[in-house]
Amino acid sequence: MIKDITLGQFFPGNTVVHKLDPRMKIILTIAYIVSIFLAKNMWSFIAVVASALLLVIVSKISFKTILKSMKPLIFVLAFTTFFNLFWTTGDVLLISFWKINIYLEGVVFSVMMILRITSLLVGTTVLLTYTTSPIMLTDALERLLSPLRLIKLPVHEFSMMMTIALRFIPTLVEETDKIMSAQKARGADFESGSLMRRAKALIPILIPLFISAFRRADDLATAMECRCYRGGDGRTRMTKLKLALRDFGAIILMAAFITGIVFLNLTPCPISM
Amino acid sequence: MIAVEIKNVSYVYSPDTPFRKVALDDISLKINAGKITGLMGHTGSGKSTLVQLFNGLVRPTEGQVLVGGEDIWEDPKKISRFRFKVGLVFQYPEYQLFEETVRRDIAFGPANMGLSDEEIKRRVLESARFCGISEEMLEKSPFDLSGGQKRRVAIAGIMAMEPEVLVLDEPAAGLDPQGREEILGGIRDYQRKKGNTVIIVSHSMEDMARYSDEIVVMNKAKIFMHGTTAEVFDRAEELSDVGLSVPQITELCNKLRERGLDVPHGIYTVADAKAAIMRLLGGKHD
Ligand SMILES: Nc1ncnc2c1ncn2[C@@H]1O[C@H](COP(=O)(O)OP(=O)(O)O)[C@@H](O)[C@H]1O
Ligand SMILES: [Mg+2]
Repeated sequence: MIKDITLGQFFPGNTVVHKLDPRMKIILTIAYIVSIFLAKNMWSFIAVVASALLLVIVSKISFKTILKSMKPLIFVLAFTTFFNLFWTTGDVLLISFWKINIYLEGVVFSVMMILRITSLLVGTTVLLTYTTSPIMLTDALERLLSPLRLIKLPVHEFSMMMTIALRFIPTLVEETDKIMSAQKARGADFESGSLMRRAKALIPILIPLFISAFRRADDLATAMECRCYRGGDGRTRMTKLKLALRDFGAIILMAAFITGIVFLNLTPCPISM
Repeated sequence: MIAVEIKNVSYVYSPDTPFRKVALDDISLKINAGKITGLMGHTGSGKSTLVQLFNGLVRPTEGQVLVGGEDIWEDPKKISRFRFKVGLVFQYPEYQLFEETVRRDIAFGPANMGLSDEEIKRRVLESARFCGISEEMLEKSPFDLSGGQKRRVAIAGIMAMEPEVLVLDEPAAGLDPQGREEILGGIRDYQRKKGNTVIIVSHSMEDMARYSDEIVVMNKAKIFMHGTTAEVFDRAEELSDVGLSVPQITELCNKLRERGLDVPHGIYTVADAKAAIMRLLGGKHD
């Protein structure tokens, strides 16, 4: 069923990673991405991979889940590896047949690229999407971007729109499912026929879906107005985000990590890119 | 004769996930043909899941579904055949309307069956009549109608497919008494005229007492009771154990009987109760 599609998966939990301030998590994620791209030799890559593994362990996300989330990445990895392997030239020729030359540099480069992409994915999903609820994320984003209000960007409105959209994705998916079943009960056929026929078969789903989405939007707007919503100006918050000791701890750890990466890059190493 | 038979059926939502939910637990059931069967039960007892098995929208995790003696999942490619044999009206069906006019919306199902234009026209008019839809309403946009009218259009859309078994999931939910009366009365007239099988999901005792011949009571993914309307309402205590009540008039008769009056069992309509009470009074006056 269409309902089984998971969007912006969030696994509730009680670990340090879950408890970190979402604003701090966004900043940490950016810092982590930078550190991954700083890594240049084997030592620093070992540090990057170890840190990603550590994150997974600390956040108590199962490795099975992580592996599943990497599935769509296989194609990207295969693609980059293919190009890196066959098109990188260097000094040490490993294999040569017909017109194809594989150099040691190409192998090193491919392996590092694979490590880089997977750590990037694992680090960001664990730090952000898997351990932070979407509502917290948009909330944090709004606060981080709030200085942009000075140049008249509607930051609050954007974040409210995002929050509402996230809130209604499961509702709309469920609704699509229901409408599809109802039209199937009337003998609608979505699976066979030419492309044109199939596109036409979507009309009985799309029209009710749009109508219901507009109705919901209207109801929601009315309900918000009834509760005196007037946009972000002068609006106070029920939950105030406050930085805790662990947030400072995390940022110090991250600073140490980046320094470590830079330092490792400078140490002599047999394998580097 | 048996219209629909369910044999040892189980159904599990989201198996192999933390959200696993057993909606039907090894149930067996035979629905008699040519009758109106009421399917009752608390919210979440599995009624909606059960009715989606009847026309093959949902495939049982275990067990068999037989319509007219045929196992509907014998050849999964031919499952759509049973969508026409068993017509299912979903809960809140008014949200599935999409055509420009009421007439075309009612014709959607019959058109999918590949019927001739003549036949479609006849069926649209007939089912519109059962559902109290006027000729003038047929040319309107379904989106200009009231909620109750939309509901009737949606029901007519399934009736027009003339299924051997018509299944309605809470057709009267959220309507005022007059709206309920119009819809349920129309369904009964249709059943009496066509003589086919009708299954109505409801949790209104009063409605079921008035309109159904037989009643199936579900509780916690199981069949709790199955019998004629009189038989089921005679077991008031067991019903209240699963959070259902008997119709008010049955309740009254039970109270009278508790006080030692000779009121017969199995009364669930006001007319029967009146007759019984009049007889009692008449006996005393003699
Ligand atoms: N699409 C679904 N996904 C997961 N669980 C569901 C779904 N639909 C129903 N359920 C669960 O299955 C049980 C039976 O639901 P349902 O058949 O809708 O009951 P009823 O119609 O009697 O209220 C309920 O506990 C409900 O939460
Ligand atoms: Mg239901």
